[in-house]
Amino acid sequence: MHHYSPLERVLRGVALTAIVIFFMFPIFWIVLMSLQTNETILRSPPSMVFEPTFSNYAAIIAGRLDSNVASMGIEFMNNLMNSIILSVGSVTVALILGVPAAYAFARHKFRGSEDIAFTLLSFRFAPPLLVLLPLTMYFQQIGLADTYLGLIWVYQLICLPLILWIVRGYFEDIPQDIEHAYRIAGHSWFATFRKIALPLAGPGIAAAALLAFIFAWNNFIFALVLASADKQPVTVGALAFVTASGIQYGQIAAAVVLSITPTLALALYAQRYLVEGLSLGAVKG
Amino acid sequence: MYEKEKDLVNAYMRGQMSRRSLLRSLSALGVTAASASVLVNAAATQALAADFDWKKHNGKSIKLLLNKHPYTDAMIANLDNFKQLTGMEVSYDIFPEDVYFDKVTAALSSGSSEYDAFMTGAYMTWTYGPAGWIVDHNEWINDTSKTNPNYNWSDMLEGVRKSCAWNGKPGGELGSADAKQWCIPWGYEQNNLAFNASMLEKAQASLPTNLDELIETAAKLQAGNDGVYGIGVRGSRSWATIHPGFLSAYANLGEHDLNVSDDGKLSAAMNTAGSKDFHAKWVKMIQESGAADWSTHTWYQVGTDLGAGKSAMIYDADILGYFMNGGDNAMAGQLAYAPFAASGNGAPTPNIWIWSLAMSKFSKDLDATWYFMQWASGPEHGLFGATKMDFVNPVRSSVWEDAGFRDRLANSYPGYVEMHDVSAPGASIKFTAQPLFFDLTTEWAATLQKMVANEVPVDEGLDQLATSVDRQLKEAGLG
Amino acid sequence: MANDTAVRVAPARFRIPSKLFPYLLSLPALLVCIGILIPFFTAVWFSLQRYRLSQPWNRGMNWGENYLNFLTDPSFWNTLQVSLVYAALTVGLELLLGLGIALLLQKRTRFNNFISIMLLLPLMTAPALAALMFKLMTNPNFGILSYFAQVLGFENMRWGSDPSTALLTVVLVDIWVYTPFIMILLLAGLRSLPTQPFEAAALDGVPRLQQFWRITLPMLLPYILTASLFRLLDSIQQFDIIYAMTQGGPGDRLMVFQVEAYLNFFQSTNVGRSAALLLILWAITFFLSNLFIKNWLRLRERARGEA
Repeated sequence: MHHYSPLERVLRGVALTAIVIFFMFPIFWIVLMSLQTNETILRSPPSMVFEPTFSNYAAIIAGRLDSNVASMGIEFMNNLMNSIILSVGSVTVALILGVPAAYAFARHKFRGSEDIAFTLLSFRFAPPLLVLLPLTMYFQQIGLADTYLGLIWVYQLICLPLILWIVRGYFEDIPQDIEHAYRIAGHSWFATFRKIALPLAGPGIAAAALLAFIFAWNNFIFALVLASADKQPVTVGALAFVTASGIQYGQIAAAVVLSITPTLALALYAQRYLVEGLSLGAVKG
Repeated sequence: MYEKEKDLVNAYMRGQMSRRSLLRSLSALGVTAASASVLVNAAATQALAADFDWKKHNGKSIKLLLNKHPYTDAMIANLDNFKQLTGMEVSYDIFPEDVYFDKVTAALSSGSSEYDAFMTGAYMTWTYGPAGWIVDHNEWINDTSKTNPNYNWSDMLEGVRKSCAWNGKPGGELGSADAKQWCIPWGYEQNNLAFNASMLEKAQASLPTNLDELIETAAKLQAGNDGVYGIGVRGSRSWATIHPGFLSAYANLGEHDLNVSDDGKLSAAMNTAGSKDFHAKWVKMIQESGAADWSTHTWYQVGTDLGAGKSAMIYDADILGYFMNGGDNAMAGQLAYAPFAASGNGAPTPNIWIWSLAMSKFSKDLDATWYFMQWASGPEHGLFGATKMDFVNPVRSSVWEDAGFRDRLANSYPGYVEMHDVSAPGASIKFTAQPLFFDLTTEWAATLQKMVANEVPVDEGLDQLATSVDRQLKEAGLG
Repeated sequence: MANDTAVRVAPARFRIPSKLFPYLLSLPALLVCIGILIPFFTAVWFSLQRYRLSQPWNRGMNWGENYLNFLTDPSFWNTLQVSLVYAALTVGLELLLGLGIALLLQKRTRFNNFISIMLLLPLMTAPALAALMFKLMTNPNFGILSYFAQVLGFENMRWGSDPSTALLTVVLVDIWVYTPFIMILLLAGLRSLPTQPFEAAALDGVPRLQQFWRITLPMLLPYILTASLFRLLDSIQQFDIIYAMTQGGPGDRLMVFQVEAYLNFFQSTNVGRSAALLLILWAITFFLSNLFIKNWLRLRERARGEA
């Protein structure tokens, strides 16, 4: 392989630095903001010199914030809990439903299988509002309105296609010989699925689950339209920091930091799976 | 209640003790300010129980849909008294204002019986009423078996009360004889001036008495104060940009949003010569002395900038200026208030925003819900909220006459009481009530944004707006 | 190829469960999604009606009138134009930037891997929250980006509040969030390219720039297509970022399909128009997703063939 000339090295270094700054700076700045009070945030010109305070986080976690005029309860921690329930719930359901289906599509070329698979994938690309607006009316009638169950069902629109397609790709890439041999050795279909296919597809399933979790966590519009206040996730909850008595910018920043931390932490922890999942989700890498 | 605390509260009730020293003594006993206020009011509520069967719906529970707002805080702070009084349970969902009305629409359009009553503005009832989602509250107000004798409906300010009543006919006059009371006023806002007194002094500007002077003063304030813009008004792409100062000045100059013909047909009225002149001035004012990011300003940016000392004056809801004069706002204590009449005749006619309560038609027990409604909009809670919490502006004249309340305002909010008294006679909703309210005002705001950005000349923009408004009215069978 | 032979030999014996079995396996997933079809058809039905919640007495079928009205409605054409421009701009810029970054990080070094992981973080941020972050950063009073703009001499940079920069601002947020997605896909593509053609070209002394145009780009093309289509499908439906930043303003500058439909439904309560708008958007995405899935399948086949 060739080597880079010194000039090229410098140019590449500069380009990479610029890129890293562009993508990292907003996160860095929001963290800084979250450690300040309105007083230091509102200084101009902005300055990085300030006495860090955790009061914003304390207020959010304690659920009480002393705004300009009165103190009022906020339910941000409740929002966090909802995000966890909704994301974990929908991924679990999507895995239970999606993995067997993915296996069926990968292993059994049955009549209409491509059509069904295509239909399922196309849900991923339908405009969500198209479905959500009429759903508000139906949910009321069938008693799913304002339940976690109803929301988790709708969240399948994001999670299920993702899991289906990534996991299917994974199953297809596993040689059938092993399963085949195991079957011939007299084991049942289910045992083969559980003992051979599932473990072999493990990394793919993990990748799909992680991605589905993150997309579910980041969703904004479903709960906004369908759920009541006590079921709202953090993406909607972060809006609650605007009150009639003024904006607490530091608390908004702290709320944003708390809301994105779980997904960022997951991303750092499981980056290998994520990269794999993303590549598989759209292309076979 | 512990004995010591009880004694203190009773001493206060007998007038032997000032409110402040009461609160101080109570806090010495470890009672927080908020719960101390509730204690005081509990003593007052005991008087309420006479002559009316408040316990009729004992054991029932209702659910409310509420906006995150100081009015909500005031109500919650006092809610235990209602529960004690009636034996009812009250639960609630609170949403931030950014999404609040979308939630109301979602809940009501789906026919949800989850919420028995909710907060709303009068404009919204122009949709909810005809859609069949809310009730005509007259049915309860006028029924003496359901409404307690102390409720005193006529105590509600007339302009406010009538602004919440509409006969449902597009273009129908608000508060007409055949009008339905779609909602019950709770708290309301007049649109007037709130300004930074020291900045006014520093710029050697004087209070404006007509539109031209307003523009001048705004420019002067901006020139005379470093890093401060002259005037804060709303500018986001929303109906809310039209209804505060903008429409108040517009109406004061005798202009209308829509024409209503004798046969009840509606047509656009915003492209008259007078309107064009007004728009041109308003646009110039924003371009010269408005916020740099005016086009994204909703009420909270307008307020926050004033409170933070980034703007010298606002022409917006009076209570916004009120809130900014307290708490940890940088400019707390430096703000003052003044009425404003754009025409220069000294008689302001502010358009008003009314936070109201309405009962959902889908509620399973309207009678029980009405118990909450009459308590929450009643004189006792009004007085409690106005004197102990930030439940301003009250909608009842009895509260405005209360000396304690007037003193509270006069002491910390210079000019506020006078401003209110001068403007109250002319204060009402200046829009034409009709079901396309949000379509038309949102488009109006978008047009205003284009004018301010110099994307379209004022004359042309208004003509385009009028054409489009007429087309939409025709399409909906109203024009 | 061994796998394929196995498949061809095995199927008869492998499909021991009844013919229905695979249907049964996929049935629950299908049922869950079928539930979604009901509201879909409801929306179609709504779109054929004169239907405003505030005028219930006026409700009735008007068949294609909502759609016909679009032809003469300037705000519809504006919506279509804004959506297309937004999609084209975001996908185009993200593609260029993503490809650039992927090329920089192509070598599998520890350092490059570390950087690519760091670059994943924006993608893991909820778009609605990212919009909120940028709103804070572009605040004219204390926003750091406003300050930078000022230092750079753009005294009057108003970001999202100025019609001339509003589009740019939301595109910036979109780029921040989604470029890493394209980067990851193209990086995966680049790293999976066979090395022989490059070695041969290097031996022949072909300049690197030419290698890029003649070998890298053509071989990467399927990946580029797939990634762009995928993004295009999301981008044309953008809601979170624009709604959180400007609600479609200033003026009608950012009135994309879903924002317009949302406002139509919730503010004007014009259900008929809202549904018709969304169906047109659906038709566009359906067409695009067909293209995408076909392309995707071809890519998969190719990848399997080479495996």
